[in-house]
Amino acid sequence: MTSVLSPALEMIGISKSFPGVRALEDVSFECRPGEVHAICGENGAGKSTLMKILGGIYRPDGGEIRIKGQPASFAHPVEARRAGIGIIHQELSLLPDRSVAENIVLGAEPTRRGVLDRTAMRAGAREILARLQSSIEVDARAGDLSLAEQQMVEIAKALASKPSILVMDEPTAALDDSEASRLLDLVRRLRRDSVAVVYVSHRMPEIAAISDRVTVLKDGRKVLTDRTEAMPTGRLVRCMVGRDLEEFFPPRGAADGGVLLQVNEGGNATISDINLTVRRGEVVGVAGLEGAGKSALARAIFGDRPFTRGTMQLNGQPFAPRSSRDGIRAGVGFLPDDRKREGLALGQSLRDNAALTLRAFARALALPSAGAMGNLTLDQRLRALDVRAARFDDPIRLLSGGNQQKVIIARWLARDPQLLIFAEPTRGIDVAAKAAIYAIIRDLANRGRGILMISSDLPEVVGVSDRVVVMHEGRIVGECPSGASEEDVMALAVGHGGSVAEPASACGS
Amino acid sequence: MTIALPDTALHRRAGSLTRHINSGVVIFLVLFAAVALKQPSYIEPAGFMNFLRRAAPLGVLAAGQVFVLVSGGFDLSVGSLITLSVLGASMITGGDPSLTGAAIAALYGIGVAVGLINGIAVAFLKVPSIIATLGTLLSVNGVAMMWSGGSPRGYLPDNFRAFGRFVFRDVPLVGQLPLSVIVLAIVAVLAWWGLHGTVFGRRVFAVGDNPRAAELAGIRVDLTRISAFVISALSAVTAGIMLGGFGGVSTDVGQGLELQAIAACVIGGAQLMGGRGSITGVVFGALSLFALFTLLNLLGLPQALRDTAQGLILISAVASGAYRQRTGG
Repeated sequence: MTSVLSPALEMIGISKSFPGVRALEDVSFECRPGEVHAICGENGAGKSTLMKILGGIYRPDGGEIRIKGQPASFAHPVEARRAGIGIIHQELSLLPDRSVAENIVLGAEPTRRGVLDRTAMRAGAREILARLQSSIEVDARAGDLSLAEQQMVEIAKALASKPSILVMDEPTAALDDSEASRLLDLVRRLRRDSVAVVYVSHRMPEIAAISDRVTVLKDGRKVLTDRTEAMPTGRLVRCMVGRDLEEFFPPRGAADGGVLLQVNEGGNATISDINLTVRRGEVVGVAGLEGAGKSALARAIFGDRPFTRGTMQLNGQPFAPRSSRDGIRAGVGFLPDDRKREGLALGQSLRDNAALTLRAFARALALPSAGAMGNLTLDQRLRALDVRAARFDDPIRLLSGGNQQKVIIARWLARDPQLLIFAEPTRGIDVAAKAAIYAIIRDLANRGRGILMISSDLPEVVGVSDRVVVMHEGRIVGECPSGASEEDVMALAVGHGGSVAEPASACGS
Repeated sequence: MTIALPDTALHRRAGSLTRHINSGVVIFLVLFAAVALKQPSYIEPAGFMNFLRRAAPLGVLAAGQVFVLVSGGFDLSVGSLITLSVLGASMITGGDPSLTGAAIAALYGIGVAVGLINGIAVAFLKVPSIIATLGTLLSVNGVAMMWSGGSPRGYLPDNFRAFGRFVFRDVPLVGQLPLSVIVLAIVAVLAWWGLHGTVFGRRVFAVGDNPRAAELAGIRVDLTRISAFVISALSAVTAGIMLGGFGGVSTDVGQGLELQAIAACVIGGAQLMGGRGSITGVVFGALSLFALFTLLNLLGLPQALRDTAQGLILISAVASGAYRQRTGG
């Protein structure tokens, strides 16, 4: 019914690269006034990058943005807002110590003769919250609100500037069902008010319920745009995950060693009821959406953020690490998902980074190059993993993501841990290096180590693992054997049981 | 696994040219040349040794401070610890030379205590080091004032003052050799060994570069930080003992030295926020700063200009460090 109108927003041929990764390549879509246009794709498909470009946070390397037919470019989020774009980001951005009202009008405070008009500010904030049917008190401190309430305030803040284009990046992620349905009502009302709504989500039912059209992204490219009626959930999921990467993954091993790690009823503040077994020679994948507790699980086993409930056994011995140091001592290694923030000393050399764990356990006054920390041994390890660098005493920040990851692997191999936990092992790594890292992982398993691989990358987790454990909202909700389809895993991960895949799913709970 | 990876060789080549030249050495040579032009006696052995003698306490202080800087912190308490050392020494010895040994032992004990307090506040109580050591600065100063009754009292025995003022005469090659220069040399060698010649030193770098990565790699980040503060405090006590020999007992002997030490480190290429620094660099950084003060003096500029110059140096050195970081050089 709205097709006669010209688009409120067009993004044409948008490309964006980050060092080592191509985040977006030639992505185009348009959104008309009064249309809800859903953007969906797996984690890492490029959805958030696209929205950040629209919001003026990133600048595209190529392509064009048009607002009401006029070319526009944003050097700063404020310019995007002036152009009538309101964005609700996935990450909350409230000022915790300011009131709800202050947060809502932030950057566009009502003034009277140059002085902040508190009455108008509070009235305006109250009106917006009323439209959201929210009972949040405008004078409450934002930091005291629950996550869901903060999300509401975030939405109110985006609406305060009366945008003609509203971008919602997974807005219901933190909301419960009734809050989510109120939000969807609001989206419908905005649609009636001729607002163009760009709705980013991977919750299938929501997309089906609310959007007019849907655009699917995969690996930074657009797969298709189609009317939502023409996209039943099954087809949508296949579009999101379907791809041909079989030859990419190393053949699985047949090794079935004894039980290496056993977790019984493990739990802490973020995860609960964890029962998990990892055998020697086995790669166990852990899948789930962002925030499902995968990373918390890795950290709990390693000892960084320990379990507070339940028990663990490593090699048949009771295992209760209280710190990462405990975990390492017992024979566990952990490659963190956020390499830059948690894995690397960026200014130090490759060798220093590779020797980090050895040095953590060496005598303090020993020579830094004593024993296995000597350059010769370190260089051998780095070469064995095919680390490419001009010089091994260069700072590690000069390396590509794949090479950096290999250096961290070298760091752990020096300790020869029994259990290695890889969190997002190939995040931000180019395709070629990915294959190399998969080969290393499989090789370690074949040599009798146990591997736990946390990953948001579905093809990866399905392609590399011997079996996949799926998490949803802090719990393990199911397990898929080797050879399960990405659709099966995705269905469990979105909390959808086995109802997505047409042939009866091979997954049990 | 035979896959071409994006080449960053260009990056590497640009970096390799600058990485082995220490900024501290260059700046020192330039400034000292200027000093020598103005006052040629400075390049004679006696003049140079006298210059080194006076610069030695700052060098010692910077060699300790750099451990804290590389570990990612600041130690602002060292100036007041120097004051406490000098006042404390005069209170303990009361001019009695037989008590010098006991006084020195007591001072190092106090130093360890102050370093532990700084380190524990930062590592366990999670107080930002700039605030924690600012707090110790005030407290230590207060203790010094209380102990001495608010005004300098007593005398330092000559054997205590020797560390600052004794000079070996008729030394081959250099003619005369002040004891404080020997102390500086010993401290520099020890600090070099500690920072560059031990596993501990590499841990300090890792902790300063990325404490979270260090922790996840199994390093005891807390103990490493505490040790760095103790080393800094010990160097402050050493500098205090040397300074006690220079002048007399006074209540402002250590004032401002904490910032001079930090400035010296930064001139020598240490990075505020941690992860980079070298002992050679900071010792030359200290000599550079002292050469600059000497130059300002020789030019007849007022003393107060020192502080201004020092402030500008701190800002520009940090800014240039930030620039280097941005451009990835």
